This record gives sequence, C-alpha cells and structure tokens, in this order.
Amino acid sequence: MSATLEIRGLCKSFGGIVVADSIDLDLTAGRVLGLIGPNGAGKTSLFNLVCGVVKPDAGSIALDGQSLEALPTFERARMGLARTWQNLRLFPSLSVMDNLMLGPRAYSADSLVDVFFRPSQIRAHEAEARDRALDILERTGLSPIARSRVQDISFGQQKLVGVARAMMNDARCLMLDEPMAGVEGQTYALIQKAVRDIAASGVAICVVEHNVAFIRDLCDEGVFMFAGKVLARGSVEQLINDPHLTELYFGT
Amino acid sequence: MFDLAVVSQILWTSFATSSYFVLFAVAFALVLKVNKVFNFAQAGVMTCGFYAAYVGVRMLNLPGYAGFMLGIAGGVAMSFVLEYFGFAVLRQRKASAMFVFIFTLIASQFIAYAVMMIFGTWPTTIFASMFWPVTLVGGIAVSAWDMPAITATVTVLAALWAFLKYSRNGQFMLAVADNADLAELYGIQKDRILMMSMLLAGVIVSIGMFLYGTRAQVQASAATELMLFAVAATILGGIGNIWGAAIAAVVLGVVQNSSILFIPSAWQGFLLFAFLFFAIVLFPSGFRLPERRNTLKRTVVAPQALTDGKGH
Amino acid sequence: MDYVFTILILIGLFVILASSFDLVIGHCGLISIAHPIFYAIGAYISAMLSKQSGMPIPLSILCGGVGALLASALVAVPALRVSGDYLLIASIGFQLGLIELAKHFHEIGGAGGLTNIPSFLIKDFGRESYVVLVLVLAAATVLFIRWLTQGPYGRMMTAMRDDELAFSMLGRNAIWVKVAVFAIGSGIAGIAGGLYAHYFRFLEPDQFGLLQSSAVLTMVVVGGMRTTMGPVIGAIVLQLMPQIITFFNLPPSILGPLQGLLFTGLVLFFMFVRPQGLLPAADLWAGRNRDGDAGHSRKEARS
Repeated sequence: MSATLEIRGLCKSFGGIVVADSIDLDLTAGRVLGLIGPNGAGKTSLFNLVCGVVKPDAGSIALDGQSLEALPTFERARMGLARTWQNLRLFPSLSVMDNLMLGPRAYSADSLVDVFFRPSQIRAHEAEARDRALDILERTGLSPIARSRVQDISFGQQKLVGVARAMMNDARCLMLDEPMAGVEGQTYALIQKAVRDIAASGVAICVVEHNVAFIRDLCDEGVFMFAGKVLARGSVEQLINDPHLTELYFGT
Repeated sequence: MFDLAVVSQILWTSFATSSYFVLFAVAFALVLKVNKVFNFAQAGVMTCGFYAAYVGVRMLNLPGYAGFMLGIAGGVAMSFVLEYFGFAVLRQRKASAMFVFIFTLIASQFIAYAVMMIFGTWPTTIFASMFWPVTLVGGIAVSAWDMPAITATVTVLAALWAFLKYSRNGQFMLAVADNADLAELYGIQKDRILMMSMLLAGVIVSIGMFLYGTRAQVQASAATELMLFAVAATILGGIGNIWGAAIAAVVLGVVQNSSILFIPSAWQGFLLFAFLFFAIVLFPSGFRLPERRNTLKRTVVAPQALTDGKGH
Repeated sequence: MDYVFTILILIGLFVILASSFDLVIGHCGLISIAHPIFYAIGAYISAMLSKQSGMPIPLSILCGGVGALLASALVAVPALRVSGDYLLIASIGFQLGLIELAKHFHEIGGAGGLTNIPSFLIKDFGRESYVVLVLVLAAATVLFIRWLTQGPYGRMMTAMRDDELAFSMLGRNAIWVKVAVFAIGSGIAGIAGGLYAHYFRFLEPDQFGLLQSSAVLTMVVVGGMRTTMGPVIGAIVLQLMPQIITFFNLPPSILGPLQGLLFTGLVLFFMFVRPQGLLPAADLWAGRNRDGDAGHSRKEARS
C-alpha cells in the first residue's frame, strides 16, 4: 500500500544553515508518526516545506501520488493537506465557530460568482459546514464557547480550536505542530482523544512533539531529526531509550 | 538629431542633474532599509528643507552657505518631528503597516498645504536667479552648478558609506536593518538608531533639495513628484540595497532626460510612471547587485545514525 | 435650491466612493489610495462613449464601471503576485501616470478638460430626479457592501486580514480574493464617476489626483473603517466642511490649501487621538467584526 504522503530527498538551506538535508519520509493512512528532535532540528521547517510556505532547493513531495511541488499552499490544502501551527494562527477577530467555518476544503463562498448568482448553493454549503462544525465542537468539548471570540478564550481552548479547525478540512494528511505545548489536564485529554479519532478514520498524521508521554501513547512510530537530517527511525520506545539520541536531544 | 555634440551634452547634463535624484533615492532607501517604512513623508521633509533654505537666502538675505545650513536644519527638524511624534508613537501602538503608510502620506500632504498657505503656490528658487555661468569643455556646456552638485553628491555618498562601514552607530544601523529585535537583545537602542537614520535621511534630502532648488523652480507639490523618482529608483535598485538605489537613480535620471532625443518633451513626465509600473511588474526584486557573501557558511556535522539500521 | 441639489449629489457620490473604498482598504485590508483614478476612468469612459458614439447614458455609465473594474484588475493581478506593498506603489504609479497621460491626450480634452458631456435626466425630469438617482444608488451601494461583508464572503475577508498564511493553509486563495474585492470596489467607483460626469458635465485630469485620494482616505478614516455608516458619516462631514469654509469669504489662494489642511489635519488628529474613527464602537449597524459575529449569531439563533 503506497503512502499517503511521500517525501523524497527534500533539501533546503537558508544562507549557510541547512534545515533539510535530503529527507525521506512516508506518512501512511491511519498511522501516527512522531517527529522528535531538539529545537532547531528542522521539524517545523519540514512542515513549512510540505505546506509550500517555503520552497525546497531539491526533492519531491507527493500526496496520494500527486506531486505537490508546483502547487501553491492553498492548492495543497484543497488536495487534503491540513496542519496546525506552533503559534496557533487562529483568526482573532472571529468567533470559534467562524474559525471552524473557514476550515472546509471547499468553502461556501470561495467565488464571488457563487455569492452573486448561487445564493441557495451558498446557504446549503453553509448549513453543511455548520453541522460539521457543531459536530466537531461537540467531540472536542468546545460547544459551550462556540460563539466566543477566539481572543477571549483560554490558551488551552485555543489550541483545541486549532486542532478542530484542521479537522474541518477532512484531510488525507494532517500535520500537528506541537499540539500539546502549554497544555494540560482536560484539554490534554481532549486533544489526545481528537487525534486518536482522526487517526482511526484513516488519516495519515504526523506530530511534532516534545511531550514524551503523548508520543509514547499515540504514535505508532517515530522519526528522530537533528540538524536537518533524519537520524533514526523506529518504534517510539527504541528512539526514546537510545542514549545517543537522548544526548543529542538534551545537547550534552 | 543624433549629433554627437547634442548627445554628449544631454548625457552630461542629465548625469549632473541626476545628482539630487541620487540623494533623494539614497535617503528613501536608507529609511526603508533601517526603519522598514515606505517613508512618503520624505516629501514633507524635502519641502521643509527647501523652504528653510529659501527663507534663509531670500527672506533673511543670508549668504548661500548659511542658507544651506538652514536648509539642513529645516529638514532635520521635520524628520525629528515625524519620527518622535509620528513613527515612534505608531510603533509603540503596534500600528499596522497600512496605518503607518496612511500617516506618511497624509503627513506629507499636510506639510505641503501648510507650506502653500504660508508661501503661496508660486514656484520659487533658493537663489533669486537660476542662471549659472557656463564654460565650454570640449564642446560641452558645463554649468557652474554641475561640478559642485556632483561633488556634493559624491561626498555625501562617500560619507554615508564610511559611516555605515566604519562607525559604531553605522554598524548598529545595519544591525537594526537586519533584525531590529535581535539588535535590541544585544543592547542596541533601537529607538535611538531609528531616529538617527531618519535624521540622516533628513540631512541628505535637504542637501538634495538645496541642489534642486538652486537649479529649478519649486512649489509645495514638487517634492511629491520628486519622491516618485526616489521610489522607482529604490525598487529598481532592489529593496534593502542603498547603493543599488543610487545607481538606479543615475540611470533613471539619464534615461529620463535623454528621452528628449526620442520622445516629445511633453511625454517625459509620463515616462517615469511607465518605468515605475513596468519596474514593479517585471522586476519586483530589482536588479540585484551580486551580494557579497560575508555570512559564514555554517553546516552542522550530523553524528552517525545508530538504532537498527533504519536510519540514514 | 440648485446649490442644495449639488451638495446632495456630491454627498451621494462621496458616500459611494467612501463605502467602496472602505471595502478595499478596510474590509479587505488592501493598501491602496488610487481609488480616484477608477472614479476618473468610469467618468471619462462614460463621457466619451455617450458624447462620441451617442450611446445611451445608462449604458455608458455601466461601461464606465466595467472599464474601471477591468483596469483595476489589470493593475492588481501583477502587483499582488508580488506582495500587498507593491499594489500600493503600482496603484499610485498607475494613478499619477494615467493623469499625466490624460493631460496630453487631446482626444479626451487634455489638461484643459473634457467639456460638453451629455446631460442625463435633468432636461426631462429636473435636477431633483438626478438627486434621487444618486441618493438611491448611494443607499444601494451601502446596503450591497453591508450584505457582502456580513455574509460568508465577509468572514473570509476578515480571516484573510487576520492571518493570511493560516488562511492559505485552509485552502483559500488570498490573491484571488484581493483582486476580486479590488475590482468590485473600483468598478463601483467607476459607476460613481459616470454619475459625476453626466451631472457636472466637465472633467479634468487633475481632479482625480492625490487631493482626491486624501479626501477619500479622510472620509473612511474619520468616519470609521469597517462600519456600515462610518463612510457615510465621513462623506457627509467631508462635504459639509468645505462648504462651511466657503462662507468665510476667504481668497481662493488661501481657500484651497486651507481645505487641504483641514482634511489632512483631521485625519492626523483622528489617527492619533481616536483611531477607530467617529462612530462609537457600539454602532447598531456595525459590520461583522465590530462586535465579534453579532450579526451572525442573530442568524444562528434562528437556525
């Protein structure tokens, strides 16, 4: 079975710094891959490369067999790629619900032609999106704050909204950038459950995380990155228990 | 029409008159590079620089060099006001780029209207006469204005270059241009440096306006048109590249003036806009001068992969 | 009475200009001040088509609007491919360059201006009819923009303004939204231009330069960006202000600069003292993000 997301030989350097050194990676449907490594290893850069935020120097990226290189970011999202951001990137002027309503791959009012000439179609899409949003809000325990403005809710809730918004895409491949950073307790459990559910529905997931418990619990396999290179692959247990990698991680 | 004498004359004169354009472009490019602002209010600074000199020479009957100093004082004063009461406040408020831009535009218009009310709309010059004695050098008429103008411009550019390269504050300026927040972490006072670059730009454009105002007529709205030139040169030269802007200003100046050989003079004004438009569409990053690689090439040597052979 | 009609028409036209400009700069967040040039394009196209080829005026006004729309797309597409900042410079260059060009173009009157533009409605129905026409279209513009910005398209514009990168990562094409909104705003301005041309019957390139840009900017900033009634209030204030000054019987050499000084001084004052504009935050007609999604939740409660 071919992988959902295939990365081959991805290279990128900024000035003299190599952030991606011939990276090969596969993300498979229904499996959660943990991307671990110290800060500066190039994990978020990898996400940026896959999303098209940054252009690679060399290498290929393919989603379900289709090459992504020539496509701008928004096209990649429409093909089924979704991500969350390390610094959240929610829309502060909008409510939680509105943030989610912008999530679907095909937005109701993407084209002005539709807005002017197909109002009934727009109403139908809006209703659909609202239903899906309400469902996701329910599952992530965010229903009570659906109308609240994003700037008014707690940090943990904001992180949940980030995940929920990414879920609206109905993605084939989901990339989560430190979803657990700064999160604990109830929110932790909710995000954990959400990620499990998404994986169970056949989405290929890649998670960048420093939280060992989360990785151990949720990831089926792991990849260790350092200085732009993939140094090791294997089960999470193997990577975590490797003394050499631990040394690199903590920089001793 | 393509008489060698005529062509050389035009090339020389347009080269000499590109001197003030170079100064306007360099000042604009400097502020863009360091303060990260498209400072359209520079037109206001230019206007102040001119009218301060004008007041000195024509109204107070001071000698030329005193008028020159007064002009610089005027430009610097306006730069100070813009930075202290304008940009710094907006920066503190974390105003959006759009807000800052609207401020620069409106401020320059405000200054233009104020000047119009005080001095009227008649075009004026700094010295009562625009006449400069001309010497023939090998068939080319060289005006007594040309050499001082070129010398002044070259001196300013050299001084700026030396300042940026060798002085501490100049180095700080480049650091702030590169990464203002990082510079602050290293103890560089960002606000002081930003003010310094604005004041420096004020000096440069005032000198430029003195040159311009001793050769051509100026009215309150003149600075805005001169600014377009500076903007076009900055874009063509590559944003962040002060010397590129300077070279682009010379090229644009020469091209615009020599276009008289090919197109009717009435269309010369339009040529600039056409240039600006095509510059943006075709060369948005400007004609980049080859960058000198003075960044250290850092590649971290990755240690050997371990685990069960699945690594790279 | 004619004087009052002219003021009302000017207010109506300014309302259309200010609202459409607010759409571009306020709702969509595009930095551009070249709005008056599209007003000019609409005016000149409508004037020339009706004058030279006898086209019926309603049609020529429409053509003016379409012409302005297409011209704006022509400027926006290449500029936005680079970045939002370039749109600013490209549009200013376009505005000033076109004005310069128009001054040399004798077929459309050159610097001296285009005269004898055919009039519309007034001969048959009197000036009042024109006033009604302009005010109705002004109201229509305000309502149209409110409808657009309160619906799902408005939600998109707000999100794009908030965080364009995250916006793109959700699958939305930011460039297309910007071009579309810029085009619509400019097209509306073009139609207003046509209305202007057939009432005042005289057009001159210099009318559409930076002074006009400052005026439109003032109306939006002073009135309050992204509110429904903000541009309207701004337009009224800005029309009445110069009229009040004219009553002081100042010499024209002072009058012109004084008006300019007042416009720009007002904007500066508001920018530093009250950046949100004249309209208080609790405006009942507020656009969608003044109070979160107040408009939206009203609809939600029903569904």
